Amino acid sequence: MKKGERIRLRFVFGALGCVPVFLAGWLGWLQVGQRGQILRDGKAPLRLVAATADRQAEAVEVMPQPRGSIVDRHGSVLAVDCEVYDVRARISVPAKEGKSCAALRSWLAEVADDFARAMVADTSLSDRGESQRLYRERFRGSLAKAFRTDRLPADGPVPADQPRVADVRIAGAVDVLAVVDALREVGERRGSVSMHFLRSWQRSYPERESTYGIVGHVDSRWTVDEAGAVPKLTTFGACGLEALAALLPDEAVTRTSLRDGKGLTYFRAPVDAVARPNVVHSTLDIDLQRIAVRELAAQAEAGAREGKVTIPQWGALILVEMATGDVLAAASWHRDGKHPEAAAFTPYQMLYEPGSIVKPLVFAYALEAGALDWSHSFDCAPGSSDYRERIGSVGNRVVRDDHACGVLTPHGILVNSSNIGASYVGLQLEREQWHDYMRFYGFGAPLNLHVPFESRGGAEKSFDPSIPVRSFRRNSAISFSFGYEMHVTAMHIARAYLRLFRGASADLRLCRGVDVDGTWLPVPTDPGGGAKFRPDVVDAVREAMVDVVSDDPHATGAVMHGRMLKELGVDLHGVIAGKTGTAASRVGLRGGGKMEVRNASFVGFLPAHDPRWLAVCVLQKDDRARFYGGSYAAPPAVRLLLQTQSLEERRMLQREPQVGAGGQTRTASGSPGDSGWSR
Amino acid sequence: MKWLLAGLLFALAVALAIGTAAIRAENAHCRRRVDQALRDIDDRRVELTRLSVERLEAATPEKLAKVHWQHLRAEAHRRQESIQ
Repeated sequence: MKKGERIRLRFVFGALGCVPVFLAGWLGWLQVGQRGQILRDGKAPLRLVAATADRQAEAVEVMPQPRGSIVDRHGSVLAVDCEVYDVRARISVPAKEGKSCAALRSWLAEVADDFARAMVADTSLSDRGESQRLYRERFRGSLAKAFRTDRLPADGPVPADQPRVADVRIAGAVDVLAVVDALREVGERRGSVSMHFLRSWQRSYPERESTYGIVGHVDSRWTVDEAGAVPKLTTFGACGLEALAALLPDEAVTRTSLRDGKGLTYFRAPVDAVARPNVVHSTLDIDLQRIAVRELAAQAEAGAREGKVTIPQWGALILVEMATGDVLAAASWHRDGKHPEAAAFTPYQMLYEPGSIVKPLVFAYALEAGALDWSHSFDCAPGSSDYRERIGSVGNRVVRDDHACGVLTPHGILVNSSNIGASYVGLQLEREQWHDYMRFYGFGAPLNLHVPFESRGGAEKSFDPSIPVRSFRRNSAISFSFGYEMHVTAMHIARAYLRLFRGASADLRLCRGVDVDGTWLPVPTDPGGGAKFRPDVVDAVREAMVDVVSDDPHATGAVMHGRMLKELGVDLHGVIAGKTGTAASRVGLRGGGKMEVRNASFVGFLPAHDPRWLAVCVLQKDDRARFYGGSYAAPPAVRLLLQTQSLEERRMLQREPQVGAGGQTRTASGSPGDSGWSR
Repeated sequence: MKWLLAGLLFALAVALAIGTAAIRAENAHCRRRVDQALRDIDDRRVELTRLSVERLEAATPEKLAKVHWQHLRAEAHRRQESIQ
């Protein structure tokens, strides 16, 4: 080996020998020179311990839990949480583009265009060009705000204090695969853009058009707490069934993953602690709910297109199962229903004076209390001796009937809906009895549906002890007899009729039970034990209501009876029983002043002689047009009842007995508490 | 001879270094593929949920009836045209 070669070889091996020396020196400098920590500009020193290394290599993602689902009584989904992504991007300006203001602006515009293109990757979008334009504007705006480009000069070098890194929220509720892929591709193509896909939830309502109000809605958004540390999904408000506590999600869980040198996460750990969301089984029947919504809207809008009639201000239609108090359908309608989510839910929120619809309730109470003889006849003609003796004697109060009525029994008073006859009966009751009447039927009491913003209504002011008895009799006792001076919702009327047939403990029910992780927790129905009317009392009132829906020309349901005979070819007498109500009221306006409104209402049940379903319909007009319960509110309620029966018959035909392996038969479709299997 | 051995050892060290780097690169590549597959599964599960709800919404009796009517009208129109 020549001398020169030897020198070169020694130099190479000498250099190689320097490497471990350098490493040993570096280690010593880090461990001894830095004394176990690294100083950082503007940040706390980084401690050089194993935990720091673990922390840097591990990422933790907050995983919000889903809200519970809502299903109807047959298991059809009404509200469910669907998994979506909340997409965020961490954007770092590359060194080359970060040198001049013009280059930075141009680069940010390109990034915004990339995001906009990705967001319209869904080929099913109707107007992708326009959507892309809107997205582009939005992203350019958000990037300009994040990087504060508005304070940059037109050109020249970028100031030193210019932000070089920013976190930008790209989109929430991303669930289309094409869009997710396109957004991921942006992150992969641009090394300076890190995409983060946070797991989130979006509420979905498969039957939205039919269930606004009753199922309600929920407003959840990602928020960051004051410390700005951990974003979390927060619910700001809920209404309808969505407000039930059983639907609240469990505490958020965390999921760990590893982080590479660039800070990107990989190898996400499975989430073990995710609980199955609760399932709230509502009492609604979605098929009947659709029918109720359709019938109410059709009636409210009837004739409006041709400009023949004015249309009501609002309407409500509900259907209740008598045996359980289950609300099978509840429809709400508003004349200016542009924003159905924001509108009041009329069945349990809109108060009105019920009018004659309460007369059967008054008569049943009076009969039970012994204040009324069902066989007695009253002369209901104005100016008659009965009128002078009973109404004239309490003071200056005039009571009128819609049509002239003569001598009538209580049965006839209900069929003719005589206000004078009802006043005779009402005046037989003492003030305490009227108070008890309100309590028994639940007027002025909460509906106990466990949903927010229920109206209570009632007539508390009328029972002020300072009001003299004579004044109470002259005003309140007479007004209560035909449904004035008191305010109710449609659901209060439904509950009152439920109590007429089943007693004071009967209540409406919106939720049948909750499935909590496979365990069925039923909501109890009628606990029983409350006061009940005698069967002969209920039968007497029911028979009168049967005759209201007849071809008797004086019966208030005669118009509707004739119309259904003509339209459907069905003689409703003996099929459906009911009572109409019409009231003219003055209601206060929010800005002050009063306005005259007319309420048309109808309560009906089917079958007439053994009620199984009860329907209540209310429509309110804010003008003086002719508007009667029999001709306006009764048709949708009657159609709903008839279609309910028809649907039930079809379902019965579909439920052919099934034979199981053990010889058992399945007779019902099966509810969560009852599979339908029996031996 | 000793220089030959030194050369071979050096070549071995270089080969080991290259081999280690290649295996680590392959590992990283593999890890990325697995991670992508996991991510794709997550993405498809989200898409599946979306499509399920979308189909559920599209299958209400009203919407099916509407589609059916549209189909019948189109069919009637087609037949009328073929007759003419």
